[in-house]
Amino acid sequence: MAMTKQEKLDKKAEALYEKKHKRRYKRTAGDVTFDILNHAFFLIFTIMCIFPFYYIFINTISDNDLVRKGAINFIPRGIHLGNYASMMNVGDVGTALFVTVARTVLGTVLMVLASAFVGYLVTKQEMWGRKIWYRCLIVTMYFNAGLIPWYLNMSMLGLTNSFWAYVIPGIVAPYNIILVKTYIESIPGELEESAMIDGASYMTIFRKLIWPLSKPILATIAIFGAVGNWNSFTDSLILMPDAPALHTLQHKLYTYLNAATNLKSVMNSGSGSVTGAAAANVLNAKTIKYTISMVTVLPILMVYPFMQRYFEKGIMLGAVKG
Amino acid sequence: MNKGKVADRLYIVLRILCIVSLVALFIPAINPARISGLISKTSSVFTCGTSYGALTRNFVRAFSKGWVGTLTMQMVFGGSICIIIGFAATAAGGCMSLGSNKLKKLGLIPSAIGAIVAVIGCFMINWAANDIQGTPNPDRVEPMKPGAITVFMIISIALLVLSVAIFFLLPKVEKGEKCHIETKYQLFLLFLPFLALCIVFSYLPLLGWRYAFFDYKSGQDLSLENFAGFKWFAFLFQNPATRADLVRVLRNTLAMSGLGLATSWCSMAFAIFLCEIKNLRFRRIVQTFTTIPNFISWVLVYAVAFAIFSTDGFVSSLLVNAGVLSTGTNFLMDNSHMWIKMLLWGMWKGLGWNAIIYIAAISGIDQQLYEAASIDGAGRFQKMWNITVPSLIPTFMVLLLMAIAGILNNGMDQYLVFETPYNTDTITVLDLYVYKLGINSGQISLSTVIGMFKSVISVILLFGANKISKLIRGESII
Repeated sequence: MAMTKQEKLDKKAEALYEKKHKRRYKRTAGDVTFDILNHAFFLIFTIMCIFPFYYIFINTISDNDLVRKGAINFIPRGIHLGNYASMMNVGDVGTALFVTVARTVLGTVLMVLASAFVGYLVTKQEMWGRKIWYRCLIVTMYFNAGLIPWYLNMSMLGLTNSFWAYVIPGIVAPYNIILVKTYIESIPGELEESAMIDGASYMTIFRKLIWPLSKPILATIAIFGAVGNWNSFTDSLILMPDAPALHTLQHKLYTYLNAATNLKSVMNSGSGSVTGAAAANVLNAKTIKYTISMVTVLPILMVYPFMQRYFEKGIMLGAVKG
Repeated sequence: MNKGKVADRLYIVLRILCIVSLVALFIPAINPARISGLISKTSSVFTCGTSYGALTRNFVRAFSKGWVGTLTMQMVFGGSICIIIGFAATAAGGCMSLGSNKLKKLGLIPSAIGAIVAVIGCFMINWAANDIQGTPNPDRVEPMKPGAITVFMIISIALLVLSVAIFFLLPKVEKGEKCHIETKYQLFLLFLPFLALCIVFSYLPLLGWRYAFFDYKSGQDLSLENFAGFKWFAFLFQNPATRADLVRVLRNTLAMSGLGLATSWCSMAFAIFLCEIKNLRFRRIVQTFTTIPNFISWVLVYAVAFAIFSTDGFVSSLLVNAGVLSTGTNFLMDNSHMWIKMLLWGMWKGLGWNAIIYIAAISGIDQQLYEAASIDGAGRFQKMWNITVPSLIPTFMVLLLMAIAGILNNGMDQYLVFETPYNTDTITVLDLYVYKLGINSGQISLSTVIGMFKSVISVILLFGANKISKLIRGESII
């Protein structure tokens, strides 16, 4: 990973500080012991956090027969990528993947657009009844009717067993609206005023001024929204009892992890499509479970390191009140 | 009274009627399109008019046997669409009434047309309702004439009459007058769709609280016959089995939340010790990897647990290879110390992430404090204890208060995925209990009562925590 400019500067400053520091006092034996223990603790905890993913990953790419025997613990052997190819034909994992991607993309885009627009509107003092309506939105963060009334409401709206149940309820996200509103309020008001004087309408100001200026915060809420959508599991579990084709990847994974008995039939249907492959690389119950886990976690593992600063910015913004 | 004032009064009635008609579209209890028992009880006009497939789901047999003509159902479908479009047009007209005189006049045209379309829709459904009475097999088709048709008809006609009346009461449009809405209303109208979404998904569920007062079984009507008053509230405390369940569930909930509270200082310690590491690259790597678990779902955490601790998982196969165990053991089936295990999984997932807010707070501490302390001869731990910790306490208090306010909200995902038949006694928390009672066992009324209690207590706790925060720190947390 290439270091950013800021990191390089930090490091330089750190080195300089160290130099100055060392001249001032010597590290005692206690210091050294503490440092070693401290490093050891964090090293172990980090390994605990990352090793399971590594373990699952090497088990999905190793020889399936060895995996079944439990022989793959640290080093992959007999590397092949056949499991991922055949996974798409097992059960309806392919459909689940499609549904999950669709809801993540659609849900996130709509949520970001709505949050940006509403966040902008509620900064406008001129709006009729602004305070009341804004409070109406915010209160919903702290108070909800409960699971069962929510479920009955969704079924009343005809959103059970329907794809739109994943998308529409998430469009208005009060917390994100607060974040955007706070951000927009920090943009100098003169910019908007001068645009107003030039005769720009609210929509124009939003499109040409507010939207581009608030991109950092929008990126942050987009990334949080996307992760939330991707991970969402309860809505699929509760709202889609009669529509297995609409189950999300998380729900599928949950089903497969718990399905010790009927995996046999799935395996057979899966292996039918990979008859050409070596006999050793036929999927077994263990590799199916591991491969779906990997498919489900991979997007997050791949995206996270690059988006980390947005995530961290998000939690810091959360500390700012609306 | 002059004409303008009368028109203003009538406008208020029109707007209220518009809102009522829009809400009525979503309420299954007054669904005029439910002309047969085969149409689902939970469907509203809106669902009838949006999906022909859902409307006729139970009609396959009726169609093939010729009990009901397809034309009848198409009329119901068309009528529903007409009502939806009609009411939407009226509402659009109602929105335009916030503008200038010309816009008001223009807005009355969609209002009137919408009302007419809605009346036509009502007639179509009425025709279908009369038609279905003549079915050869009334036992199966259960034809009925919903009284709601009359209600919808009256609303539509009232809308029509009002629109026309206001049209003649409004002053004539002068030449050169422009369409214009005042800024404050313009902004409100832009905001309105989102407010509507919020109301539909966050406030409308409150209507569901009425199920707490009925003997409700899924798919039944709410009528005076099954009105139960406070029966379920009393049941909760009087029925020994339910009471025992509830005590057990509350014990689990409070125990696990309590353990979480008791260990909430851990993320602060994590941050402090991490900041003691001077190698920035190592620190960065630790921070990146320890925060990843926070972004995977509980199902994936379970998948991880499965990979590591199940019969043929990592730990088992290591132990078998080392000769400690003869066959693999499924550690996940072990139901001892469930509370501690759940706590540890929670920490594995959240520790690194929760530390970030403290790390940011530490980097905000004035470095001169540390330098001054060094000169005074303070050691490393003294600096940590006397400078870093006190600076983090305000942040810690806010997070602690928030955690106390959320003591009943453990969420159900974690406990649902880790639940097995063996550990269900010690793992079921309130959220999971409500889910199992309501969704799996169909005890809608009882679980609604429990959910109500939970919502109300949570809000009280939140306001309490807020009050305390105001008293101590002079700042609110919500």
